[in-house]
Amino acid sequence: MRTTSTRARRAAAAAGVTVAALALAACAGGDSGLGPGTEESSAPPTEECPCEIRFSWWGSDSRHTATQAIIDAFEAENPDITVVPDFTDWGGYWDKLATSVAAADAPDVITQEERYISDYASRGVLADLSGLDIDTSTIDESILAAGQTADGQFGIPTGVNAYAVVVDPQIFSEAGVELPDDETWTWDDYVEIANEISAKAPEGVYGTQDYGFNEAGLNVIARQRGESLYTEDGELGVSAETVADFFQVSLDLQAGGGEPDAARTMEVQDAGPEGSLLGTNTGAMGIWWSNQLGALTKASGRELQLLRLPGESDGERTGMYLKPAMFYSVSATSEYPQASAKFVDYLLNSPEAAKIMLTDRGLPANTEIREGILGDLDAPNTLVADFMAEIAGDVVDSPPVPPNGSGDVAEITERLNTEVLFQRLTPDQAAEQFLTEVEAAIG
Amino acid sequence: MSTTDIPRRAGVPARRERRRSRAVSRGDGRAAALFLAPWFAGLILITAGPMVASLYLSFTDYDLLTPPEWIGPENYTRMFADPRFLNALQVTFTYVLVSVPIQLALSLALALVLDKGLRALPFYRSVYYLPSLLGGSVAVAILWRQVFGADGLLNQFLAVFGIEGQGWVSHPDYALGTLVVLNVWTFGSPMVIFLAGLRQIPQMYYEAASIDGAGRVRKFVTITIPLLSPIVFFNLVLQIIGSFQSFTQAYVVSGGTGGPADSTMFYTLYLYLKGFGSLDMGYASAMAWFLLLIIGGMTAVNFLASKYWVFYDD
Repeated sequence: MRTTSTRARRAAAAAGVTVAALALAACAGGDSGLGPGTEESSAPPTEECPCEIRFSWWGSDSRHTATQAIIDAFEAENPDITVVPDFTDWGGYWDKLATSVAAADAPDVITQEERYISDYASRGVLADLSGLDIDTSTIDESILAAGQTADGQFGIPTGVNAYAVVVDPQIFSEAGVELPDDETWTWDDYVEIANEISAKAPEGVYGTQDYGFNEAGLNVIARQRGESLYTEDGELGVSAETVADFFQVSLDLQAGGGEPDAARTMEVQDAGPEGSLLGTNTGAMGIWWSNQLGALTKASGRELQLLRLPGESDGERTGMYLKPAMFYSVSATSEYPQASAKFVDYLLNSPEAAKIMLTDRGLPANTEIREGILGDLDAPNTLVADFMAEIAGDVVDSPPVPPNGSGDVAEITERLNTEVLFQRLTPDQAAEQFLTEVEAAIG
Repeated sequence: MSTTDIPRRAGVPARRERRRSRAVSRGDGRAAALFLAPWFAGLILITAGPMVASLYLSFTDYDLLTPPEWIGPENYTRMFADPRFLNALQVTFTYVLVSVPIQLALSLALALVLDKGLRALPFYRSVYYLPSLLGGSVAVAILWRQVFGADGLLNQFLAVFGIEGQGWVSHPDYALGTLVVLNVWTFGSPMVIFLAGLRQIPQMYYEAASIDGAGRVRKFVTITIPLLSPIVFFNLVLQIIGSFQSFTQAYVVSGGTGGPADSTMFYTLYLYLKGFGSLDMGYASAMAWFLLLIIGGMTAVNFLASKYWVFYDD
């Protein structure tokens, strides 16, 4: 996105003042955007190698370094295959991928994410991996299912994360509040404990950070009530009441002092793990994806712990689930699907690759590989691995693959939660708007 | 330069001269075309081509991944039923209508002060121009977050007077205001143009007015304003067009979301999010063409209105 917007701006300057507005769209349309992206129907059954495949991913510098090391190791084992790296940051990744697919220049091996995989799979961009030679025997069925749609297996999970409560025991003990029993606590307990900590802790230290910006929390609450954010058929599966209750928790916390006021909440929200309440030692709790524990621990300089989400025992069923961190997919138009499959197989199943990657793409989905790296993990990641093992037995199932258009739901949730926090919408109004907007987005 | 057309046979000198000069000019034309070619190629391939493509796309349902499908003017009609689009329009118009007049007034005021012949004029001119160079950049937008954050410079300054500030950029009622301030702050380029315009006004008018006993205000209203009006008009048109297209500031200050609660959702930012976020490129293309209509309309109104207040000396 960075390159495109710069280009758009440059083109705008060249085009002169009146036509400049168009350049943005012009660049968006692209000169190759008019032709269909998938002209070749299938690749030849046998491949001529030496060949070259392109692997795209997003991430931080540490991930780029690690991935390059894995590519080097793979190329050493398979001298006839060259893997070309193609990486950007998260924000630019989807712009770049969409434009390169539109230009019929999709990478051979594509890193995918939960919210987008269905968009790409249903439009014929991704190959059905069940027809390729990739060993998935050591990956749990329910986790593997997260990459399936009715039409096939379009992605294989790289690893898993859990949505959980991260706590700072030091703030708890300084405030004289006991850590809750996470096997029995309810959402009401969560609000009460947060309010109590804010009351007893020094000025500027809060019970918890607002959780309403992430629809994963809504999904867990829905599951605890026997609903689900999305159904198997790709429809909305959550009731207005549940959505309203989800937003209400934030308001209760605000009213009781358990979380900061709205403006402060917005700032903390934008500051990532480093600037979060937990990261700055100003909050006792926060709800995060487990792969953030490392960053949170580092920022806080304290020994943080993981707890189950509230409400796991008093609902109809448990709501927590293991979410694939990301997926490996292969382009449907790849010239070398077999070489690509070989590379994906290496990423998933090679102990060498796992030793380099560790938990950077989630705790490995491959259980044998996971065992193999346990000894190499640092303290927070060991904690994550133990926590996942602990809750694995209670996880009923994986939620279905989010439907087309679910990429918009994150944005809708964030925006409506902001409206609720600033009390411009009541939770009921927000719930109604949520249902209308999400239905329009995924319909 | 080509010499092939120059006749080899010596003929009538006068005729030969004429022919040579024609040959030379034809050669010049070819060289000019050659030098212009890259620019033409750029215009056609990078600007005109994509523009035509986007006009076509604006009548289609296009998600980037599958071929576009013709749906007629549906994208255009859909816009007016889209509350977020209407909100983006409102935000953008507010931004333009508030920030442009303030910016122009401020830059004119400063130009008047600088025109009084300060000793270190080039220095002040550069200092005041600097924000214009930086204003659209990502770095300044990030700086803005720091200045107007809850623990930012502004609140520390307010704290000196015992006023408790708040997170300006993260509050939906104030976030747009910080962007207006950012835009106003980049008053340097209109100021430099005003300054040049002030220098063009002949001193004799002022002298004559002084002799007639006109005061400063009188001179400003009856001499400076009318003679400067073409420059004011030029700056007005340029700043309005530029402000309608603002993108970077809102994108960076809001972290790419147009938040909090869509309060900084500029038109172009929404266009971008629709195109690349929701993969609704047909809709985004239609929005771009509609923006062209808006800007074209505003500019046309400006030009029509200019008849009544812009005074051309010659």
